[in-house]
Amino acid sequence: MTQTIAIARRELLAYFSTAVGYVVLALFLLMSGMLFSLTTLHTGVEATMRSFFDLSFFLLLFIAPAISMRLLSEEMRLGTLESLMTCPVSDAQVVIGKWIGSVGFFVLMLAPTLLYLLVLEWYSSPDYGSIFAGYAGLLLVGGLYLALGTLASAIWPSQVLAYLVAVFFWLLFVGLTSWLPRFVGDPWSDILFRMSVEQRYSNDFAKGVIDTSTIVYFASGMVLFLTAAVKIVESRRWR
Amino acid sequence: MIEIEHLTKCYGSFQAVRDVSLSIPKGQVLGLLGPNGAGKSTIIRIVTGYLPPTAGRAAVDGFDSVTQSHDVRRRLGYLPESNPLYAEMRVVEYLHFRGRLFGLPREDRRRAVERVIERCWLSEMRRRQIGRLSKGYRQRVGLAAALLHNPPVLILDEPTSGLDPIQIRETRHLIRELAGEHTMVLSSHILPEVEVTCDRIVIIARGAIRADGTVDQLRQKAGEAQRYVLEVQTPPGDAGVREELGRLPGVTKVDALAADGWMRFEVSAAAGTGDLREALGRVVGERRLPCRELHRNTGSLEQLFVRITAEAEAA
Repeated sequence: MTQTIAIARRELLAYFSTAVGYVVLALFLLMSGMLFSLTTLHTGVEATMRSFFDLSFFLLLFIAPAISMRLLSEEMRLGTLESLMTCPVSDAQVVIGKWIGSVGFFVLMLAPTLLYLLVLEWYSSPDYGSIFAGYAGLLLVGGLYLALGTLASAIWPSQVLAYLVAVFFWLLFVGLTSWLPRFVGDPWSDILFRMSVEQRYSNDFAKGVIDTSTIVYFASGMVLFLTAAVKIVESRRWR
Repeated sequence: MIEIEHLTKCYGSFQAVRDVSLSIPKGQVLGLLGPNGAGKSTIIRIVTGYLPPTAGRAAVDGFDSVTQSHDVRRRLGYLPESNPLYAEMRVVEYLHFRGRLFGLPREDRRRAVERVIERCWLSEMRRRQIGRLSKGYRQRVGLAAALLHNPPVLILDEPTSGLDPIQIRETRHLIRELAGEHTMVLSSHILPEVEVTCDRIVIIARGAIRADGTVDQLRQKAGEAQRYVLEVQTPPGDAGVREELGRLPGVTKVDALAADGWMRFEVSAAAGTGDLREALGRVVGERRLPCRELHRNTGSLEQLFVRITAEAEAA
């Protein structure tokens, strides 16, 4: 556990010692802040953060892979993986530690958006339940995206490739599960709908509902991707 | 302390290490010497548990490097070949991070970090970002990280590669200091490196052990075939001296080279011939030739190393 935290901590600090961390942070806050003031800050508009959550879901498709792309790729490229893997830490500790570090950065990226909440509070009385659910949903979606990003960066030593593959994976996945159900027959459309991240996110969380099956959905997705990443890292031993 | 038994490692169809067995007792400083690509790093990576062997096994302090990898890693201080470090971290930060990975509790960790910083002369650089350090200092950071948990075994893969002569001297000095306290394996493709620091040298070429012994043992082995150099002034067109030298017992070859009025003979003799200097002197004396040089080349380790690796390449 100490080791996992040590790795997560190092990872988190590393984001703030390179330009990438600040650029990602600034872009996200710029985009979401602009959207918030353009759509929500008007008289007569509901005091919710619905549009912020919808946009964040979309932005995450591109931003999460940028956060996760360096996790293992860089270790492989620099050769630091060798000195890491000859310390008494397991492959799973390395992978999970790195993922936790990236989730930590994601949380810090979301933290300043709590200011929007203050603004809403100043002008009206927002519905805290749905806002809390929205943040919880955003964290789950982020965790899932970052888990796949961790897997991509375990496979490819090139950060660019790790980024592109993760982005294309999610575009394809979201596309397949959101638009395809409209064109296929009944058993399939239902199955695809259930697999859709977007459905889970905008039908449940953004409306303020937290469903157990949805939490299971996200948790199993994260476990799946992280386990695959651990297996990829282990595969170095028999390749 | 380190046992390597019938180790073989294949990368695809390429055999990088072939049936290597080696036993390193506690406290010994062993030099793994071999040309680039000989399989030194592969052997080291298997011992550290980073790579699994294709066949055979390696053990440190009785722990198997595959099945008891974590026990092995806790006992090893390892400096990988390219000394990979996180450029964005500060020296102390990095050392504390390593301390956490080895599970050192806070107070022990703080003491350990101070100890290695002093040991590796890093005090002035402690707050510096690793990426901004010179190569010599980075090497010290790598060594400091390897020493942090005070491991009984130190494995240093090419510890001086890429350093300038002064940094090389400093690093060697440090290694010699550490030699008393740890069992050590040091790899290098440069002979003087291991010659000055190691108790025992193992020469590796093409994935197999080609020679194994103390510096003196290897030097004797290298000295088996002897060469003599004789420089005299001979009358122009006189080939008699060369013929006479060639007739001496045990002489296998005589090379002659004329330069600024002097003839330089290089006489090779077979192993076990005994000392030929006296006989050579007599040849010169009988003919009353002006002589300005007569000496014997005891074979250097360098020659042995070159010969062994050349033979391995040719095989």
